[in-house]
This record gives sequence, C-alpha cells and structure tokens, in this order.
Amino acid sequence: MTKLALTINGRAQGPVDVRDDLTMNDFLREVLGMTGTKFGCGAAQCLSCAVIVDLPDGTSHTEPTCVASAASFDGKKIRTIEGHSGDGQLTVLQKAFIEHFAFQCGYCTPGFLNEGQVLLEQLARTPAARADLETIIADALDGHLCRCTGYIKYHEAVRDVILADPHRFLKGG
Amino acid sequence: MKLAAVSGITLGVSRLALAETSAFLAHETLPGRGVFKPTVGRVDGVAKVTGAKLYASDFRASDLPGWPANTSHALLVRVADATHVYAGFDLTRLGKNAQPSVVVTAEDLARIGARAPEFYAGDLFCPVGKTPSYLGQPAALLIFETFDAFDRARLVFRDGDFLKFGAETGPVAVPNYGAFRFTRVAGATPDAPDIYSPLQEGWISPGLLESSGRPIWKPLPVAKGGEYVKGATYGEAIRAQLAGDNPAVLTLDRQFETQSVDPMFLEPECGLAWYDPDAANLEIVLGVQSPFEATEAIAFLLGEAQAGFKPQNIDAQFAYIGGGFGGRDHTPFPLYVALAAMFYPGHAVRLAHDRPQQFQGGVKRHAFKMRSQIGVDRASGKITAFAADHVLDGGGQMNYSISVAVVAATGAIGVYDIPKVDVTTVAVHSRGVTAGSMRGYGTLQTMTALEVLVDEAAAALPLDPIEFRRRNALRPGGRTMTGNPYSVSVRTKEILDKLDKHPIWQKRADEKARAKPGFVIGVGVACAAKDYGTGADCSLGSVEIDAEGRISIHGDAVEMGNGIGTALANRAALSIGGIADEVTVAQVDVFDALELMTSGDAYTITQAAQDEAAKNPRWVPAISSATSASIGAHVGTQAVAEAARIIFRFGLWPAALSLWGIASTDPRSKQADEAYWQGETLIMTGLSPLPLSAIAAKAHAQKGVTGAMAHAFSRWAWSQGVFNIAGEDWPADIDALAVRHGGDRFVRLDRKAVAFPPTDYNRIGTAFSSLCGTLVRVEIERATGALRIAKAYSVLECGKVLVPEVVLGQAQGGFAMGVGYALLETLPPFEDGPGNGQWNLGQYLVARGSDLPLHDLEIEILSPLASNEPPKGMAEVVMIPVVPALLNAIFDATGRRFQSLPVTPEMLKRALA
Repeated sequence: MTKLALTINGRAQGPVDVRDDLTMNDFLREVLGMTGTKFGCGAAQCLSCAVIVDLPDGTSHTEPTCVASAASFDGKKIRTIEGHSGDGQLTVLQKAFIEHFAFQCGYCTPGFLNEGQVLLEQLARTPAARADLETIIADALDGHLCRCTGYIKYHEAVRDVILADPHRFLKGG
Repeated sequence: MKLAAVSGITLGVSRLALAETSAFLAHETLPGRGVFKPTVGRVDGVAKVTGAKLYASDFRASDLPGWPANTSHALLVRVADATHVYAGFDLTRLGKNAQPSVVVTAEDLARIGARAPEFYAGDLFCPVGKTPSYLGQPAALLIFETFDAFDRARLVFRDGDFLKFGAETGPVAVPNYGAFRFTRVAGATPDAPDIYSPLQEGWISPGLLESSGRPIWKPLPVAKGGEYVKGATYGEAIRAQLAGDNPAVLTLDRQFETQSVDPMFLEPECGLAWYDPDAANLEIVLGVQSPFEATEAIAFLLGEAQAGFKPQNIDAQFAYIGGGFGGRDHTPFPLYVALAAMFYPGHAVRLAHDRPQQFQGGVKRHAFKMRSQIGVDRASGKITAFAADHVLDGGGQMNYSISVAVVAATGAIGVYDIPKVDVTTVAVHSRGVTAGSMRGYGTLQTMTALEVLVDEAAAALPLDPIEFRRRNALRPGGRTMTGNPYSVSVRTKEILDKLDKHPIWQKRADEKARAKPGFVIGVGVACAAKDYGTGADCSLGSVEIDAEGRISIHGDAVEMGNGIGTALANRAALSIGGIADEVTVAQVDVFDALELMTSGDAYTITQAAQDEAAKNPRWVPAISSATSASIGAHVGTQAVAEAARIIFRFGLWPAALSLWGIASTDPRSKQADEAYWQGETLIMTGLSPLPLSAIAAKAHAQKGVTGAMAHAFSRWAWSQGVFNIAGEDWPADIDALAVRHGGDRFVRLDRKAVAFPPTDYNRIGTAFSSLCGTLVRVEIERATGALRIAKAYSVLECGKVLVPEVVLGQAQGGFAMGVGYALLETLPPFEDGPGNGQWNLGQYLVARGSDLPLHDLEIEILSPLASNEPPKGMAEVVMIPVVPALLNAIFDATGRRFQSLPVTPEMLKRALA
C-alpha cells in the first residue's frame, strides 16, 4: 500500500492508502468518481485516459493513466478535463473544439483536449515557426486515437487557436 | 413509456437522470439552459469538453437517485477454447482477497428458468460437459462485493483464466444461419416489366443442403422448393451465359476475401444494474443503439424465471451516447448486466468490458469469401450479366448474420444497371467471435469486390474506368437487383462527372510520371451506393415552444456521435425558426400521450393482418427501432420535423396572422408556405417581420398548437396519416399524433385515415440509397512497401444536409475507417483471433492521424436536388468507395491487383520486388 497525496486541478487530494497495483485511471474513476478521464484500452495505445502532469519547472506533459499506478502519481500535480474551464468560462481550446465540431462521440476528447492544451502552453513558452506548425500539431496529437472523426477537425481546431493569436504562439508572429 | 407487459413484467424505458437534477440539466440536457451555448457547434459540445457524465461507463450507483450507495462489480469470464469439452473452473488461484461473492453459471440459469431470447439463441453460458459453440462464449459471471476484490481478481485473470477443459471434440457443428438467392432478369427494355425478380416472385432460399451443411444451389425439384426452382433456373441460365465462350463478351471470374474487423468504438460496452427485491424492480443503465430491443430482451430472459428472479418491473435507463458503428445494436451484453443484478439482489452491480474483453466478446464485421463473375459486351462496354456467390462467417451466434447476408447480396451490383443478376449468399456458423452489425453492413465487402472487378473489366476492355462506370450507371427510375427502383434521388452521373473532372483524375498520368526515385504512384477511383434504413424504421419525436419562444425537442434516436441532437434542432428550425434551447435524445419515456400499441412483426405481417390492425387508431407496425443503418437524419428527425410543421401551421402561423391583423377571409391567410424564417424572425413579403418570441406569446395567448408529438414508420415509404387539427384535415408522413394547445396537456388525436406501406414492400432489398465516389492518389516506397495517401477526394449526395459540419465530419471519419479496413485492420479467425482474449490496441491497428491525408482530403457534398429534398442517410456510404479506390490505386501504382484485405506494407513490398 502507498499513502497517496497529489494535486488534481489545483485541489489537494489525499493522503489516501492505495494498493500499489491500483491504476491511476481506476483511482480517478473509481475512487474519486472523476469519470471525465476515460478508459479505452488499458495499454496506453489510445490515450483517451491521458492527463496533464505539471512539472515543477513550469512545463507540462501528458501521461496515460491506464497503465500507470496511482502510487506513481504521488506528490504530482495533474489536470484533467474537468479542470480546464474555470468560473463557468470555457478555454479557448474548448470553444474551438465545439465550434469546429472537432469530436463526434467525444470519448477521445479528454485526451485530445489535454494534449492540445499542453501544446498551446508549450508554444506560448517557445513559439514555433509558422512553416512547422502543421507538423508540430500532427506530431503532438498523433498518439491519440479517434474512431469517429478522421482527426481533421481536431487538427483544424488546434491550428486555428494558434493562428488566431500568432504573437503568442508563433515566432515573429 | 410503459410498454406492453412482457411475460407479466412491466417495462419502462427512459433516459438516464442523475441524482442531482441541477447536474443533470447542466450535463445531459442539451444544450442545457443556463450554460454556455456556443453560437455554432454541436449542442452537446459543452458537455463533451468539460468531462460531463454522458457515457454509460461514467455512472456508478451513487450517481443515481434512490440506488444503493455502493457499487459492486462483475467480471464476465469467456472461453478461449471452442474445440474441447468445458470442464468447469477453479477459483483457488484468485486468493482470499479476490474471491467473488457470487458466481453465476449455466447451471444457475437453468435452475432459475432464465431463457435466451431468440435473437441470442444458444447457451448464454457454456454448460459444463459441452464444447463451447464459439470462442468468447461466456462461461461464468463473477460478482464481487467491492471494487478492490474485483480489481485484484481481474489482475489475476490477465495472467490466464481458471477455466478447465477436457477431451478434444473439434468445433461444434451448427447449421447455417441462412441462405438466399437473388435473381433478376430484366425485360427487353428498361421500361418493360422484369421477366423475373425477387419483388415479383418473393425471396427464395434453397431447400437442400449438402452433408457439410452448405446449400445446394442447383434448381433441384424438392417439395418445398418449388418457388426456388423457378428463380434458380433463371439463375443457372445466367451462369451458363457467363460461362459461354463468346468472343464478343469480356468475362471475368474472380475471388475476393475480406477480413474480420472490430468496430473499435472507444468506449467498451458497459452497464450498471440494481435489483430491489422488496419492490421486485430491476433498474438498469445501458448505452446501446437499440434501447427498446435491449429492454425487451431482458424481459424475455427473466419472463419465466422462478420467484425472486423475475422482476415485476424493469426500468431501463439509457446514457446519452449509445453508438458504436453498429457494434452496440442488438448485442447480448445487456443480458449479462441484468443477470449480474438479479443474482446479487439489493446490490448495484457494474459490468464493464476492458479492451481485450471487448475484442473477445463484442460483435465483429463479417469476413466474406466471394466469387464474382461479370460479363461485358466489348462493343458497347455494357455489363450484360453478373453472378456472385457469397459465404460470410457469422461466428458463434446468428445475431444479424442473415440480415447482413441479404443487404450484402442485394447491394452486390453497386451503382450499376445490370439486366441479368444472380447472387447466392450463405451465412455460416463458425467457432469465431459473433459477427453482427457494423458500418457498411455487408455492402462494404461486396461493393469493394465489385469495384475492384469493375476496375479490372475497364482495364481489360480497355475503357476509361470512369467512362465504363458511366455507361453502366443506374439511372433515376432504374431497377435495383430486387426489381424495384429507388424511391429517392439517384445521382450517379453527377458523381461520376465530378470524379472525372477532378484534378486528381485529370492529372494522374503527370503525377505518376513525377514519382521520386524509389517510389511508385497510382490513382484509383471507386463509386458506391449504400442503402439506408432497414425497412421497418420508427421515429418518435416531440416539439414544444413556450410563451417566451423557447423550444424543447425530444427524440427517441440514439446519439452515435453523429450529432443527432443538433440535427433534430436544425430540422425543427426549418419550420419554427429557432434553434432548440433543449434537446434530448434516446428518449422513449415522454411519448405516453400517443398511447401507441403494436402487434405482429413489421417484417413478416400479412397485408390482411396489417389492414385489420390498422383499424385501431393507436396501432402502429412498430413503436421504436434501433438507431442504425444510417437513419439518423432521414428517420431519426422525421417525427420532429412533422411535429414542427404542425406547430408552425396551427400555432405560429395563426398567431402571426393575428399579429399582422390578417383575417381568416383574407387570401393571405392561406399563404403559409410563402412565409420563411430568417433566424428567429418570420418574414412575409409586404408585411412587417415578426420575432419568434412575439409569435410564440400570441400562439399561447390564443391557445394555438404549441406542442406536437408524433410517431412515424417507414417501410421504404412513410406511413401517411390524416389528422383533424383545428377543423382542418392535415395529411402528414406520420401515423400517430398528439398536440398541445397553449399551456395545456398533450391530447392524442385519432387519425382519420392512415395508409401504412404495403406489406409486400418487405420484398424490397432497399429503396433508399445515397451515393459517394472517391479518388485517391497513393505513393508507395519500393524498398519498404510504405504507402502514403498523397491526395484524396470524396464526393457524395445526401439530400438536404441538416448539419453540414456533421456530414463533413462523418465523411472524414468514414474515410479514416476505410483506410483502416483497406490497409491496417484485421482479426485472424479462431484461436489466434480476438476470441483468445489477448487482443488489444497496438496489436490491432486503427488509422491514426499520421496514416491519413489530414491536409489533402477534399470532401464535396452535392447540394440537394430541390430545396425540399429530404435528408438521406450518409454515414456508411462515405466509407465504402475509399476501400476499392485504394485497391485500384495500388493496382495503378504496382500493377498488382490484390484480392484480399488488408493490403499491408509487406505485401506491397513483395509486389514491387
């Protein structure tokens, strides 16, 4: 057993005893009831279970939760789909997903939203060249599976958010 | 809605509500008042980007009002061996902390008197002492009190199950699921009656089987086969013609095989149920495409069960999302959810597949083996005859195998007008995982084989592939293989012209010549016509507008990710101006006012029985049907569309006349059709524009029709009813109606007359069809066989487009699924396949973004032929031509015609070596 304490969407959770082989996905969904993070494959192949991990150096990345133990998240700060909007306001990426009809069934949306948000924050720190933008988006999102949409609208939504604020996300923008 | 009791059990089917009403309104009511409402986008958008509970897998007992606080968990154990006698199980390996509280087996089902519904005929659990009839057949249901015990147990199971097997028997022999022969011989001219057709003569099946179980297709004179002999004789004549040595005719005879694949919807099947023994009430939460069927199947399962196992009431609640590309339409999974609750009374039990279990237990696409023969007159380039023989592997349970076989066979001539056709089909049992409904539904397989064959025929003539298709294209009014014309638009020529003029096609030689060293380039074309509808489709819908002009819509269609909620809102807006403030789907509990009743089977009822039943103004051929077969736009929105028309004509229009001060004697009062909406403003030439809110307030004040609730039924044509509304006879494509005046309650209106579609329409294969054509340009690396789709173009027609962005998204998604089917996805049969319980993503390859031309896929949607052309189904047709277009492009690039799927880089590498 591990005494797990972590921060989820800015709120401290735990400490709570968890079995060492309990997955983070089950901790979120079964223990905390936070079902916004999905379970798709249990093999880190579809990434519908991915959450954002915020590192002390101010950077972030996504991690799948279906193959990782909850204990491995001890002391970490994470964000899930439930934590994106604040004060009833959607983020620019959430709005873009809606307005682009980016998803269909929406089961993969938590993963794409988290990955897209991490990309935006990364570009805000280190803007990219416009010529590289499509490749950067493709590389960032490629690990995520979507069975409904063909991915195009997800990519367009992320790209349009970036192009709408070139000074923030693009070199020389 | 309270349905007719089944075996003394009262059924209720309702949408899923959350424990906290406010949370429900915020999350499940779409778009939900008081929450961010985008000016564009899907009505379910906010819920999906905020992690709202929308999916069956999101719910636990604590989310549901009145349920126990805790959730128990069940594990469905399936066999990975179907050639040895099942000898039971040993739970000791689970350890003391992972022991189930309850174990359910075949013996338990027999003890309580549970029955397998006919659709799932066979052993729901494999009994000890029998060889399992298929891989993945359940053997036991383990129910755990706590999540911890369940979680420990499933981890143990990942290292191998605990099932024991004895003597080897080989696979269980089970008769074929069904066999049909579709033969048509056209008259001398297109307008002449057919000489023989399934529509005229009825569908036929062979009466004799070989000892192997395969049908004998020869026209043997058997007692029960008289009608078969006639059709088969014509069929054999067609085959003799194709076998003849006529130098004026090009004849090709080819084999084609397609693979089994998984629908791979991202949310594995899941359910939650609670049996309250004190109230004898079974509550169940599911996410399926066929809510009515699931509920009725559970009622049948428990209908004759002994005391304590037969609920008096079943209240089934359905999550917002139910879709699974067909794979969640009529699956046995809900039965096991119900059993979990019945065998652990007083506890809420959750049963959820993980991904390997979904591969092992979920329905698959049928693998096909096809032989196709085509005869083409060399001089004219016209196809003179076509014959085919299909064998499809239905796996362990019959499920939809017969239906898939029929749809596949009757779609086997695609978009073409062929005067002589003979197609045999047989769906066989195997020990593989059960095959059932999946996007494309048989025609994906047969049209892929056809379009590859057509491409080869064009090359052999030689004739330009598009010109060859144009010469043989089915024209409006032309007859399908069953002998009936389509009753909807047929725009083959336009589609072909679009393909012909596209730069991918026009510049194909230039691009081919421009291939980089070490690469080859090819362009392929294909065209497909896909039926939509099932021949017994229902639509339930209601529209209400309040005195402030706010609109509420309820429908029974299930959201499949296809945006049905948005489509409902947009279709109603065509009549009443405003986009709904509230839309709910998967609803069948709000239509009680219609007081519907049904009897018989809509597919098999006789004309006399239908005529007699129709005298009851509450009778309809069927009440609610699964959301499947691309019917979302065409069927799913029909009742709402008619309800909205009635509100406009008998509520809003009279109110507008009052506001304009136009008397009923004024000729303008009869010109409702000339008024139109600009947003929420009603425009009438020469009169002041009126806001919807003012019209709605007036409609309420003068007690006009402010709500309408309707039922529609389609058997390749809509039921047509006449209703007296406000003293006027109103004909509409609905068969039941209730209306609300002002703020009153809904009141059912008896229909004055009704015309249900004739029962002999059940002989029609399909009368509804949409078309799509696809061009692809591929680039293949010789050294590796890696294939890149450089450019692609799909053009489709689907009548009135309700939500253009959704149609576009479906086309893009269909393209991706087509790429996966052609190049990536495959499940081996039997022991190496998904039935072994070891399959997961990673091993099973689904198209990712990097497999697709994300910035080079062009989709064109043809405008409707007329402004009032109804919406047509399109979610399946957009996938089909992608597959043969890829194969034809591969041929163009490599010179190799592949006759099986998928075509992998290794195969391409060998072809180019």
